[in-house]
Amino acid sequence: MIAPVLLKIAVEALWANQLRSGLTLLGVVIGVTSVMTIISALEGMMGAIEEDLAVLGPTTFIVTKAGGVITSHEQWMEMMKRKPIDQKSVDLVSEGCELCERTCARVDGSARLKRGNNTMRRVFIGGSTFNLVDIADMEVAQGRFHSYEDDLYRRRVIFIGDLVREELFGDTDPIGKTLRLNGTKYTVCGVAKKRGTMFGESQDDFAIIPYGTHIKQFGAPGRRGIRMMIKAVSLERLEDAMDEVRMILRAQRHVPYDKPDDFTMLTADNILEALNSLTRIFRMGLIGISSISLVVGGIVVMNIMMVSVTERTREIGIRKAIGARQQHIMLQFLFEALVTTLFGGLIGIVLGYFIAEALVGMLDMQISPSTFAMVAGLSISTGIGIIFGLYPAMKAARLDPIKALSYE
Amino acid sequence: MPLIETKNIWKTYTMGSEQVHALSGVTITIEKGEYVAIMGPSGSGKSTLMNLIGCLDTPTQGEYYLNGKQVSTMNDDELAGIRNREIGFVFQTFNLLPRASALHNVELPLIYNGSASADRAAQAESALTKVELADRMHHKPTELSGGQRQRVAIARALVNNPSLLLADEPTGNLDSKTSIEIMRLIDDLHKQGNTIIIVTHERDIATRAHRVLSILDGQIASDELTPEDRRAVG
Ligand SMILES: Nc1ncnc2c1ncn2[C@@H]1O[C@H](COP(=O)(O)OP(=O)(O)OP(=O)(O)O)[C@@H](O)[C@H]1O
Ligand SMILES: [Mg+2]
Repeated sequence: MIAPVLLKIAVEALWANQLRSGLTLLGVVIGVTSVMTIISALEGMMGAIEEDLAVLGPTTFIVTKAGGVITSHEQWMEMMKRKPIDQKSVDLVSEGCELCERTCARVDGSARLKRGNNTMRRVFIGGSTFNLVDIADMEVAQGRFHSYEDDLYRRRVIFIGDLVREELFGDTDPIGKTLRLNGTKYTVCGVAKKRGTMFGESQDDFAIIPYGTHIKQFGAPGRRGIRMMIKAVSLERLEDAMDEVRMILRAQRHVPYDKPDDFTMLTADNILEALNSLTRIFRMGLIGISSISLVVGGIVVMNIMMVSVTERTREIGIRKAIGARQQHIMLQFLFEALVTTLFGGLIGIVLGYFIAEALVGMLDMQISPSTFAMVAGLSISTGIGIIFGLYPAMKAARLDPIKALSYE
Repeated sequence: MPLIETKNIWKTYTMGSEQVHALSGVTITIEKGEYVAIMGPSGSGKSTLMNLIGCLDTPTQGEYYLNGKQVSTMNDDELAGIRNREIGFVFQTFNLLPRASALHNVELPLIYNGSASADRAAQAESALTKVELADRMHHKPTELSGGQRQRVAIARALVNNPSLLLADEPTGNLDSKTSIEIMRLIDDLHKQGNTIIIVTHERDIATRAHRVLSILDGQIASDELTPEDRRAVG
């Protein structure tokens, strides 16, 4: 087998030219990192919205500090500056809103769930008041949801989605059993009815703990604030109930009469609409970003490879003179491009992962470094390597040995 | 069957509207085991003929048979295969990979015929031993003298046991003392049964060979055997 030897030759050449290889690497890393970060952010945005949609019934609406589709930087900055929704807002709405049947407070988090040798990472962990089950489109399949007392005494009880039950408990009855949430022991109080998949993703990989317990486990919601889920008395009075809540919150937050709301209200209809336009943005963003990074990375790779081929004309001449075939020379240079871009892709993925992680801490949304983004990043970088490495490699392979040997 | 047989070969370069005939109808036959020197003034076509014989190039016209196989119609990859198996080339400018050790340089032809790593190292070592450079095998070309570099190049040319060893002015870049050392080595290789063709400007190098071909303006001007008692040695 000649290919492994050629790969070794390629790696040695890259190593011998560290500055040049480093520059190529940088071009690829920048491209892949941006793809990773942006795809992760977009996926996070969609994930959060899907989560809302999954639990909303037709008479329910959500109040959050920021949400929906964010299409501009200005809009984003404006939303980031908003005050969070706090406990006071929840109390004011539950006491003051006549047309609201129930008001529930929710916070989000994500954690590792473990039982025995079974572990699930990055499971969505909601914290909510006991009445969520009456508001959200969610049914209890086994056991019960949290009670008022669970919340009051901040008990470590957990209500789990069907996928969590399946992965951690298999066929055994989970009720009354314990699991560990980021290492802390929780008792399973109930299991939700299976929701199935939406947009290709399971809607059953979640768990919900009492609101107070969530605060104890993950800390106060801070700048991200609380999400309120409010159920109107009836479908006909939904709009009026929303107006009522709007008035209460504007008064609490001292919004002048001529200024728009500094919070977001979403119904299932709004969310579906948002999701659709987000899917569009997502696709366009993907194509745009991928092509830009492809072109930038590709041009860097091709340029540097061309310089490398020209500089090494004599080497190519020597190799051909002693019997290297075109495919051997081509493979050698293609390997150089591929090793650089693959390596750059991996660095980009790791970097993108950390940036996405950092964003989770900073932004008011659920962002998870996405597997899709990793696959996309790696395919893009390998694609760059093959497509843009091919031309210089072919040029090298076709050099005339005599001309190449007399090249100064 | 002769080792080399050329039938009226031409090499013509087109420079703009002008045609330059580097070779104009060369017909030669060389048998296995011969030791041939090619002489001639600068620009007469010696290197062009060597490159054709060494399958680095193909003639514009005419036929060339190596070991009975017609190579003048082969494509780039087929020629590469012939160069790899049948031919060992030694150049005036050594043409070693500057960053690779002597051992790796000698191993190169074996890489392209797909030899296993262990065989490659063993064969390269034994070729370096033949040129008395076994103790320098981990040195890079820049760490070797001119004569030593040319020995590495000769080891590389020999490592595949080729049918033919070609040397285009192998002593052109060496001082006279080192030239004699290299020529002694080449004489020895001939005694061991290798077929050798060497291009040179110097008569006393040419007379070490058993046959001298003179080229003038791309044509064979004379083809003479050197009588045994007039052969230069030492
Ligand atoms: N690639 C080329 N394009 C055009 N003309 C060429 C080319 N290669 C060689 N020639 C011409 O062919 C002729 C023979 O060249 P060649 O290199 O064979 O001479 P040589 O006998 O080896 O000379 P020297 O002793 O100087 O090495 C020369 O006139 C040269 O200019
Ligand atoms: Mg010449």
